[in-house]
Amino acid sequence: MDYQNKLHVIYGDGTLGLQGKNFAYLFSYERGGLESLKVAGKEWLYREPKPTFWRATTDNDRGNGFNIKSAQWLAADYALPCTKITLKVDDHRFKHLPIAPATNQFSNAEYAKQVKLSYTYQTLTNPATTVKVSYKVKADGTIKVVAKYHGQVGLPQLPVFGMRFIMPTQATKFKYEGLSGETYPDRMAGGKPGTYEVTGLPVTKYLVPQENGMHMATKWVKLTRATTQNNADPDKESFSLLFKANKHDFAFSALPYTSEELENATHHEELPPARRTVLVIAGAVRGVGGIDSWGADVEPAYHISAEEDHEVRFEIKLPEA
Amino acid sequence: MEAELKWLDDPAVYRINQLPAHSDHQAYATAEEVLDGKSSLVQSLDGQWDFIFAENPQVRPANFWQSDFEGFTDQITVPSEIEMSDYAQIHYINTWYPWEGKIFRRPAGALEAENLQTGSFSQATDNSVGIYRKKFNLAPGLKGKQIRVRFEGVERALYLWLNGHFIGYAEDSFTPSEFNLTPYLKDEDNVIVVEVFKHSSASWLEDQDMFRFSGIFRSVSLIAQPKIHVEDLHLMPTVNDDFVGGQLAMKLKLETKEAGYLTVDVADADHQTLIHERYEVNDTTTIRPTNFERVHLWDTDDPYLYHLTIKVYNQSGTLLEVVPYDFGFRRIEINQDHVIMLNNHRLIINGVNRHEWDAHSGRTITMADMKQDITTFKANNINAVRTCHYPDRLEWYQLCDQNGIYMMAENNLESHGTWQKSGAVEPSYNVPGSLKLWLPAVLDRARTNFETFKNHPAILFWSLGNESYAADDIAAMNKFYKDHDDSRLTHYEGVCRNEAYRGQISDVESWMYLPPKGVEKYLKHADKPFLECEYMHSMGNSVGGMGSYIKLMKKYPQYAGGFIWDFIDQAIFVKDPVTGEEVLRYGGDFDDRHSDYEFSGDGIMFADRTPKPAMQEVKYYYGLPK
Repeated sequence: MDYQNKLHVIYGDGTLGLQGKNFAYLFSYERGGLESLKVAGKEWLYREPKPTFWRATTDNDRGNGFNIKSAQWLAADYALPCTKITLKVDDHRFKHLPIAPATNQFSNAEYAKQVKLSYTYQTLTNPATTVKVSYKVKADGTIKVVAKYHGQVGLPQLPVFGMRFIMPTQATKFKYEGLSGETYPDRMAGGKPGTYEVTGLPVTKYLVPQENGMHMATKWVKLTRATTQNNADPDKESFSLLFKANKHDFAFSALPYTSEELENATHHEELPPARRTVLVIAGAVRGVGGIDSWGADVEPAYHISAEEDHEVRFEIKLPEA
Repeated sequence: MEAELKWLDDPAVYRINQLPAHSDHQAYATAEEVLDGKSSLVQSLDGQWDFIFAENPQVRPANFWQSDFEGFTDQITVPSEIEMSDYAQIHYINTWYPWEGKIFRRPAGALEAENLQTGSFSQATDNSVGIYRKKFNLAPGLKGKQIRVRFEGVERALYLWLNGHFIGYAEDSFTPSEFNLTPYLKDEDNVIVVEVFKHSSASWLEDQDMFRFSGIFRSVSLIAQPKIHVEDLHLMPTVNDDFVGGQLAMKLKLETKEAGYLTVDVADADHQTLIHERYEVNDTTTIRPTNFERVHLWDTDDPYLYHLTIKVYNQSGTLLEVVPYDFGFRRIEINQDHVIMLNNHRLIINGVNRHEWDAHSGRTITMADMKQDITTFKANNINAVRTCHYPDRLEWYQLCDQNGIYMMAENNLESHGTWQKSGAVEPSYNVPGSLKLWLPAVLDRARTNFETFKNHPAILFWSLGNESYAADDIAAMNKFYKDHDDSRLTHYEGVCRNEAYRGQISDVESWMYLPPKGVEKYLKHADKPFLECEYMHSMGNSVGGMGSYIKLMKKYPQYAGGFIWDFIDQAIFVKDPVTGEEVLRYGGDFDDRHSDYEFSGDGIMFADRTPKPAMQEVKYYYGLPK
């Protein structure tokens, strides 16, 4: 199909489909997020990406009671209702989500230069606050993602703020431009800038599984997988997806586990067999601290106030053909 | 003399027939042996020993020390930890005593002077016993000489028999214990029996934050002394005020059973002879001080060592013994601005605390472990180590000399649970406190640490112990070092808990985990140099905020630096019964209660000796130009 540098827009009744050369996306109205991100025939999403707030409790977090003081964010991370979805196709902003019968006049030949969807989520905190995640999709398939956290007075400090992508199979490697090693805001002076490739999705072997694997000040990260869950796809060729910083560097971690899975284990052998890829792209990361492990707080400069706004913005880009 | 079980209860009994502590020099029969590094005067007793385990003193067999006793059922490897061979439960606990909530105990004489707690350990149900036996013939190089046995480390109290005769008793788990075997020794068919108790009154002094093991966990050897023998060597190299020249004085303590002479050779690192002198042999031979017009100073960047060789001859000129010792010239002092100066430059401690640890064998570690640790130090700009909280294996001190690692050599002392309860200071039954009953035991630990390691240039600080509060007895330990050694500083952190003793204890102001703000508050009005004997608690994903300390070091020369807590996670490899994989386990994983669980995992290295991610941060800050 000749897309002529335009997106093919498919007005479904539960989803909005966007297609172009080499890609096909499904934005779900029912499931409150991007349900499918298919590039060159390979699915990249296991479940809809959502904002993330929790990190698996570190020994220092436990020591100073941060996991107790900020426990609300565990619930917010665990379940996050979507309260509002907006859609704008080129310059047209839909007042209501376009489903039948309102869409009956459309055809299978609807095109647009740019489509923007936004999902608003409400946190299970007291008081509640909202996060608005917007996706701007361009004709070449690039998705600009902006996640905005709205500060709310009275909320405890955030462990982390970012977007969490869960991918159906384990990445074989990832490559990034940023700092060497595992870094945190208060532990990154020794990180050397450069481009690094990491094989597999290593989980740092802290005696008790906990938050690990963060990479601060990253310009881009490219994930590579070789397998899918598609029963009709016997191909084992590697395929990749690129996440690129937009305006500001981001922090990321690429692990086979969610923070909840890490949280549950007291030893590494209790972690489930590694199956998926959990990519967190963070705009705000709390420091790890280190003065002691029985009370000393992380230095104030490395706290994340939940009373202030935070955001993370990045682009998802197709690999260059 | 017969062995008495009640010694276990009595803090005033800590060594019986044990030879006095002396320098850690090694004697060889010939110069060739020195080159090969293998002495024919030494016979290792490491290997398989016969073994009996008893749950407590009451159920152990009778007469096991007799040469014809037939009750030995098992074998155990020496050196090893009894718990790691699954005889006794592995247990990790931090500040509490291991009997917390299980047995009510108080230290002898701590509450009322007259209450000596008789039976506290000798009649205890938690005091497991390991009985070891080894049969041996004397190696050719040892025959016809005086023979002693050396235990390099035994937790926690040992009784020794040879060929059915009681030989002696020792405590102080982490320093060598030597006994003269000569009177009862034969050339062949000797039977040595060692009875090791997990607990004695010394347990009150060894409440370190670590897995609580027992057993013969370091090497055992027989050592022969020829008719003239260098028993002790005290090197006293000094650097002149101009930091150009220096002097070497030394004192030898000889054991002489015949007349003879000795030669003293000193060569530089390139083996160019600088001194060659001959002395007649006396019981105590003082070697006249020799002036060096220029001395090549020792420090972390240039750990320059001179070679000393003492050769001992009898009157007819037969070589009896060769004693090599590498030494260095360095000078440490505190200047009028309260800055620690090494060789006239400000001392910067980029240090770590290091427990001896191997995830497969606990505190029984290998030469390879030690060498790998040194390699890790050098690769990551770590220039100092605190031997927390006990003296280390003898070889470690030599490695530190050779590689320029500054040492804080700590005594085997921690009585944490006697003065701190759930974080609160509560010293009602603190030992050693100011108790006269406990003073000789802790002074002996100070003396042994000094006498054994006094010749190592790497040692810049004697540390009196760890977290034992502060009162008269620890002040007396400080005085011991001051009376015997003017070439080093004393260190003790615990005096910050009892400021009345500040004038008598520790040349330096030492804290642990004091946040940067507190450090700066002190430094603004420093009247002693400051260091953090423990900081940056590297438990799990940690070591954030180190830059705040490094900034203060730049600003205040009185800040000498610190020792990260700590070097390596203490965790134990076990085979996971579910997966069959080798996995790391920690406190509580052995059903051991009360436990402090993963709190022993505070290293900048994982227990498998791979670095944690934080190491790159440590390397960066420790590598900054100072």
